[in-house]
Amino acid sequence: MLSLFRITDVAAHCDLPCGVYDPAQARIEAESVKAIIAKVADNDDPDFRVRATIIKEQRSELVKHHLWVLWTDYFKPPHFEKFPQLHTLVNEATKLAGASGTKGEFDAAKADELLAKIDEIDAIFKETKKA
Amino acid sequence: MRLPLPALVRVRGRSMLPTYRDGDVLLVVRGVPPRPGRAHVVRLPPDASGRPRPLSVKRVTGPDPDAPERWWVDSDNAAEGVTSFDVGSLSGDDIVAVVAGLVWRTLG
Repeated sequence: MLSLFRITDVAAHCDLPCGVYDPAQARIEAESVKAIIAKVADNDDPDFRVRATIIKEQRSELVKHHLWVLWTDYFKPPHFEKFPQLHTLVNEATKLAGASGTKGEFDAAKADELLAKIDEIDAIFKETKKA
Repeated sequence: MRLPLPALVRVRGRSMLPTYRDGDVLLVVRGVPPRPGRAHVVRLPPDASGRPRPLSVKRVTGPDPDAPERWWVDSDNAAEGVTSFDVGSLSGDDIVAVVAGLVWRTLG
């Protein structure tokens, strides 16, 4: 308990452990990326293509961000024990959203692969919610 | 009512910036009623997964408009920290002590 003879730490924390997590956030951004790739394929306007490129990179970065938040903040050691493929899955998914994937390329197949990986992560997420 | 009792606490984190910095040592007083406008040591409810939150320093801004017997708490740093906007107002029992002042701060 609080005392004059001992200094007790009191938190003024920066983290907001709101406890709200859902792979849907990553999936929505990844769906935007896929739609942008499709729109660019049908459009020759250079200004539009520049804007699309910038927005696609931002959305890809958000996919990575949301997956990393799940990986670091939501999933806990028991989850990684139960689903040993999870580390590799998050690694592969974030790579697919990176420069060698949807961030750097206009490849619809990469976007589909990314969405499939997010679905796999989502399936694990839903399993952990059942427990 | 209990006798007012002084105690020392150390701030950990950035949610009370610019008023209090990480590492600041504060003199607090237990056993006195909450004083709206002042910083307090408070007990926050457990997080969504049921884990207890540590004792925290927050500013009591005033009574909860929807429940006048309860207290609304906020961080000084709008960008950071768990507040009543996240966890709702607190009961008087969870306002543990009032901050009387800063007793020590690292230079720099």
